[in-house]
Amino acid sequence: MKVIYTDVLIIGGGLAGLRVATGVKERGHDAVVLTLVPPKRSHSSAAQGGMQASLANSHMGEGDNEDVHFSDTIKGSDWGADQEVARMFTHCAPKAIRELAHWGVPWSRVQRGDRKAIINAESVTITEKDEAHGLITARDFGGTKKWRTCYTSDGTGHSMLYAMDNKAHEDKIDIHERLEAISLIHEKGRCYGAVARNLMNGELVAYVSKATTIATGGYGRIYSVSTNAIICQGMGQALALESGVATLGNMEAIQFHPTAIVPVGILTTEGCRGDGGLLLDKDGYRFMPDYEPDKKELASRDVVSRRMTEHMRKGKGVKSKYGDHLWLDITILGREHIEKNLREVKEICENFLGIDPAVDWIPVRPTQHYSMGGIRTKYTGESQTLKGLYSCGEAACWDMHGFNRLGGNSVSETVVAGMLVAEYISDFLDSSDSNLEIHTSKIESFVKKEQDKLDALLSKENGEDAYILRRRMEEIMMDKVGIFRNETDLKEAVDELQELLKRSKNIEVFRSKSRAANPALVNAYRTQRMIKVALTCALGAYLRKESRGAHSREDFPKRDDENWLKRTITSWPDENQTMPSVSYEEINISTMEMPPGFRGYGKDLTKHHPMTKVRQDSVDAVVEKLKAEGKDRFEIQDALMPFMDKLPKKYRGINARLGENI
Amino acid sequence: MKQKKIDKTPARLDFTQSVTGLILAIFISAHILFESSILISNEAMYKVTIMFEGYYFFGETYPGIITFFAAAISVIFVVHAAIAVRKFPNNYKQHKVMREHVLRMKHEDTSLWIIQITTGFIMFFIGSVHLYIMMAEPSNIGPFASSFRVVHEHMGPLYFLLLLSVVSHAFIGLYRLAMKWGFMEGKNTKVSRARFKFLMKTMIVIYIIVGSLSLAQYTYIGLTHDFSEVKKYKSKIIDLRAH
Amino acid sequence: MSKEKTPRILKIGILRFDPHDPEDVPHMETFEIEESDGMTLYIVLNEIREHHDNSLKFDFVCRAGICGSCSMLVNGRPTLACRTLTSKLDENITLAPLPLFELIGDLSIYTGKWMRNLNEHLETWIHDKENELEVDKLEEKMEPELADEIYELDRCVECGCCVAGCGTIQMRPEFVGAVGLNKIARYHLDPRDKRTNAEYYELIGDEDGVFGCMTLLGCEDVCPKDLPLQSKIAYLRRMMIKTSMKNN
Repeated sequence: MKVIYTDVLIIGGGLAGLRVATGVKERGHDAVVLTLVPPKRSHSSAAQGGMQASLANSHMGEGDNEDVHFSDTIKGSDWGADQEVARMFTHCAPKAIRELAHWGVPWSRVQRGDRKAIINAESVTITEKDEAHGLITARDFGGTKKWRTCYTSDGTGHSMLYAMDNKAHEDKIDIHERLEAISLIHEKGRCYGAVARNLMNGELVAYVSKATTIATGGYGRIYSVSTNAIICQGMGQALALESGVATLGNMEAIQFHPTAIVPVGILTTEGCRGDGGLLLDKDGYRFMPDYEPDKKELASRDVVSRRMTEHMRKGKGVKSKYGDHLWLDITILGREHIEKNLREVKEICENFLGIDPAVDWIPVRPTQHYSMGGIRTKYTGESQTLKGLYSCGEAACWDMHGFNRLGGNSVSETVVAGMLVAEYISDFLDSSDSNLEIHTSKIESFVKKEQDKLDALLSKENGEDAYILRRRMEEIMMDKVGIFRNETDLKEAVDELQELLKRSKNIEVFRSKSRAANPALVNAYRTQRMIKVALTCALGAYLRKESRGAHSREDFPKRDDENWLKRTITSWPDENQTMPSVSYEEINISTMEMPPGFRGYGKDLTKHHPMTKVRQDSVDAVVEKLKAEGKDRFEIQDALMPFMDKLPKKYRGINARLGENI
Repeated sequence: MKQKKIDKTPARLDFTQSVTGLILAIFISAHILFESSILISNEAMYKVTIMFEGYYFFGETYPGIITFFAAAISVIFVVHAAIAVRKFPNNYKQHKVMREHVLRMKHEDTSLWIIQITTGFIMFFIGSVHLYIMMAEPSNIGPFASSFRVVHEHMGPLYFLLLLSVVSHAFIGLYRLAMKWGFMEGKNTKVSRARFKFLMKTMIVIYIIVGSLSLAQYTYIGLTHDFSEVKKYKSKIIDLRAH
Repeated sequence: MSKEKTPRILKIGILRFDPHDPEDVPHMETFEIEESDGMTLYIVLNEIREHHDNSLKFDFVCRAGICGSCSMLVNGRPTLACRTLTSKLDENITLAPLPLFELIGDLSIYTGKWMRNLNEHLETWIHDKENELEVDKLEEKMEPELADEIYELDRCVECGCCVAGCGTIQMRPEFVGAVGLNKIARYHLDPRDKRTNAEYYELIGDEDGVFGCMTLLGCEDVCPKDLPLQSKIAYLRRMMIKTSMKNN
């Protein structure tokens, strides 16, 4: 048995995982990163549009700060987010971006003087301040009051990931490529690493560590069409789930991005609309202002996706052999702008659609894009139930996104959560709690169990074809757990997925029996796990009888704070279960800095919680009193919902901005 | 900061290869043009010859100057070849890998390099012979003497092969030099490269045509002239005694 | 679009080899696939795996031309398979793994290891011992055009196409290739990296570096991201020559 010991095992080599690795390394701990693909190929690289951080450098971002970013994030989440976490996040986002600037990300910069921009289909002139010249600039994104999304053309994730991976090279982080973690090693509620399979030669390796971090991204590939990379199969969530101890949060919270190209589902960034692009229907009519007169195309993602679907249901979609779609028109931005700031979009249009987006409209429709749900953690990133297991980035439900994530907040979360969680892990490692107290025999039994499972798969005869089960699961998720959901469909989805799960125990690996690199074997065991993940999502959606953020129930169109201001928690304590166990975690209104309110889209249908009014009054009173006393915004914030003491000391400093704290 | 001593040899070799190549290319393009003066008339070619023998400077001819020139070019030629040969495939494995690569890629610039390697190799031999004769018999240049060499000393086919090799080698080399050093690079480098490539191809065609015509003319003279009477061309206008 | 033409039957020849199977030798295997609208090699290969041979090994990640995982030789030329539309190819298509990289099996290659070695060798990160990072302070300013120029070179996806397209590196595998030289150009351009020209010379001032380049321009012509490789290598060459002349 091959065993590798390390301080911190990090599963996943994207932005979040690498940031954790460099963070713990800086604190003097060893780290090993396990990754399915070379880190630079992680799905983080596909983030195009940008990273939100309230730098307030550009003219359209003036007046921005942590407070505005916080309020946008909470509204965006439909009050499902953990407000303390969101505060920690907005406070640290400027630090994370400045750190990345230091490490080499070529952020696009402010150019002093006049420039033309398209806002609401009209050309306007924006004048940038002299003193902002050369600082990091920002573009507009949906659901934000200020232009806050910092970018490098439309390759933001790419350049962030490259800088991050290069930093990991510099720090001499051990990166073990093409290694897939297939089960967590744990005992008595404490995680000690993972069993991993080498995808090149099939060898099983036990990685034994004091702390284990899952940073494997989302689970978009449980849907048949998704903007996600094909490796985003929810294997991190499945790892946690199959431990039987760790829990998942809000798995039903799935985001659909308004503008993925048809039919292949590749993303065109929100930056297209942020920079002035429009959505048009089959008549070339701009329909969004009819639905959302205020934010129009730049309403929150969940809202735009729903409006688009509604509009297509009215027969206004463009018919195609791949189903209905709408148009994204960025021709008004002009060729120069597209070739400079939307180059990936241009390449995608040329290569996959054979069109020139400076001349032609782009066929788009809402497509699965992001998983707000994931491994439920405390604010430290540690699992609430399995000690020593951490998670961050899209893989986690740290919960700063609640039921809908704002565009630009995801890459931002990866690096912010990564830098914070690295500190919490390091604190844990510095304490005696982190001692390894596990027997080799126990480790061995975990490896053996996985080996047996693989052997069983390879020796199975007359079994099921994994591809057939997987395709059916994808279809079910697509058709029945989509943008609009209802009781009948969800019930069918849950039942059928449960049936698929039972069948999946009988999967046979046809023909290809190699123990080394063997895509058929990989597909077999991943399919079994994906179905479990799909079940947590479908079941959570079925049980949640309200509409909140991206979870939209036709039969329960109201947000119901009275009964549903809580997180869905799923787990799989017994491996013979064919359904996940479900419980709920209440979200406490009485400690909220920003009590639930109206998001500002459509009509306010919210069923408010009685506590909301009470808390709102007390918040208002405190604010009024402190303002009268001449307190500044930091002091007022602290009085409402203190969070600074939760942050690692090195990140408590107040952020400098032009005209603030310089 | 403490400055470490850097090894300059690679830089010098690279630079020298380019500079010698440039000189040789310029030389050869002038050489072929001068040679083609035979297409105008025997007299024109004769004038060009004695110009290089210093007649217009000294009032009489010194074929030794040609020897000197030929020697200088030979030195540059040898230096260029010696440095460039380090880029040749130096064992069978490299040769095989490169061959497979070229056949697989079907990529123009890579294939052009094969032409350069081949022509470079040919010139090792023919070029050396040519240079040696020029050094050894500098006075045997002229409308009749050269024609005699082409026809009766059987140099014609060799010269033709040399012409093809040297012209393609030189202009491909010049094109590659421009790419290598970013010479006259436009804002859109793809456009400037396409222009250079077009120029390269045009020049190769022009030079091969002009060179072939000259060679044909020498051959014609070689075949029709009666060398038993006049071995050396005598100008009707310029009268000089050869040294 | 023309009406209901009978779809072509594509003949996909794949160079197959499983290095873990002692009995196996490299061989061509041909699969017949019915072409569909907007079909890419990503769709083709997945169809083969799902319906013809589930042991076929290949790599895709983003399948959107962004991550650089799926580089392979398509009819002899290195390119990204995911964004290669079959409609642009003849019906006989041959696929082979990129040469030079370690083979995992069939079309799957270990570019990650090669690139990591390269990055470690060239130290492709910002070298700055003077400025301490202060996360609370305003970021250092940078000219907007310069940031754009750096990003232009930062767009490299490490797909390995330039390596497979380079004749030089085929013969001399120690050569850093266009991918390496482009990275050096990128860091040299970046004022945040404080390395001196002499230090860069140490890295690429030899036959394994910029002076090894024979300007065959395969790199420039196969780069899926259209990076200005020829121009940047020329720039490095000029800079390195200058450095060698100045430095005594």
